[in-house]
Amino acid sequence: MKMTAENDRYKKIMEILRSSRPVLARPEEIEDEVIIRIQRRDHQADRVTDFMSSLFGWVYIGWVRRSLVAVAAIMVSVFIYQQALILKQVTNISRQPVVIGSEPFPGSMTGFDNKLTIYKFSNRLSPASEIKISEKQLDQILESYNDLRSKYKDLIRIIEEDPELKKYIEEKLDENRKYKPEI
Amino acid sequence: MIEKELIEECRNGDLHNFRKVVEKTSQMIFPVAFRMLGDEDSARDVVQDTMVTVWQKLAKIKNAESYRTWVYRIAVNKCYDQLRRQKKQNERRYDDQTWAIISNHISEEGITELDNSENARIISLLTDKLSPKQKAVFVLSELEDIQADEISELTGMSKSAIKANLYHARKNIESLLQKYL
Repeated sequence: MKMTAENDRYKKIMEILRSSRPVLARPEEIEDEVIIRIQRRDHQADRVTDFMSSLFGWVYIGWVRRSLVAVAAIMVSVFIYQQALILKQVTNISRQPVVIGSEPFPGSMTGFDNKLTIYKFSNRLSPASEIKISEKQLDQILESYNDLRSKYKDLIRIIEEDPELKKYIEEKLDENRKYKPEI
Repeated sequence: MIEKELIEECRNGDLHNFRKVVEKTSQMIFPVAFRMLGDEDSARDVVQDTMVTVWQKLAKIKNAESYRTWVYRIAVNKCYDQLRRQKKQNERRYDDQTWAIISNHISEEGITELDNSENARIISLLTDKLSPKQKAVFVLSELEDIQADEISELTGMSKSAIKANLYHARKNIESLLQKYL
């Protein structure tokens, strides 16, 4: 009995809903909006087509044109990749110390900047390896380098002061040069 | 009914004739969208979106005869999308005013016609707890009086799935009627 009452209510409300068909008000607004949206989309699509035609419009065979577009896209991608790679390497190089002349570090090497330069220089000589130098080791290198420089200066002074020794060394150097293969 | 010639001309890119197609098709799909969504503005949006899609894909339909089914299918799918979006936004509460309207209409002797606003309120109240598929089957079968074969074609559901969804939809609405009336 209860089910029948629910059924009746259901049927009645369905009849009401069926007979009350929703009415589309102002249909012309929908028509206008649809046409505007279609024209806007067509216009956007046209701009892309125009751009592609201006580049590849001279090719009349469809598959050739498509291939050209694909090749162009690949070339542009490769170019961008190369540029990115070059930029990365230029940035790396710009971080390296610049050494001009036979004496990389003129004057006596003291101070933190000079230590840092030597450290960078040692990394540049073997960039692939990760060399870690302690401050103590860095001081030792600097000390040895300064010692070597002063000994080199003393040697040059001794040679300059003794003409015979200078002449002897020059002869020896000339002999050495004779045996050097010509490049 | 939309003439085959009109469809054929639109398939060739005739935008002027497409306006006539929009005029006729809108009247056809608006009630379905309205009843599935229970909201006039959302239904108008769905009609617009459907017609833009129709224009874009009109060239792809096999023949003008299949236009009706095809366009209904697009509209139903757009309604599904809209329902998914709405589900996240709406959380309906008990609406005693609408239940009073339903009660009045049921107790009246004859069948009274509802205006759009009453219609939307009642439909959205009754179908609020239904899944999008149940809503689609309920609207197409119970309110639009479309046969199971065609509903199957429109929604991609099997006949047994249609029966099951319709059964659950009815049961759900009947239990609401029992609870609140």
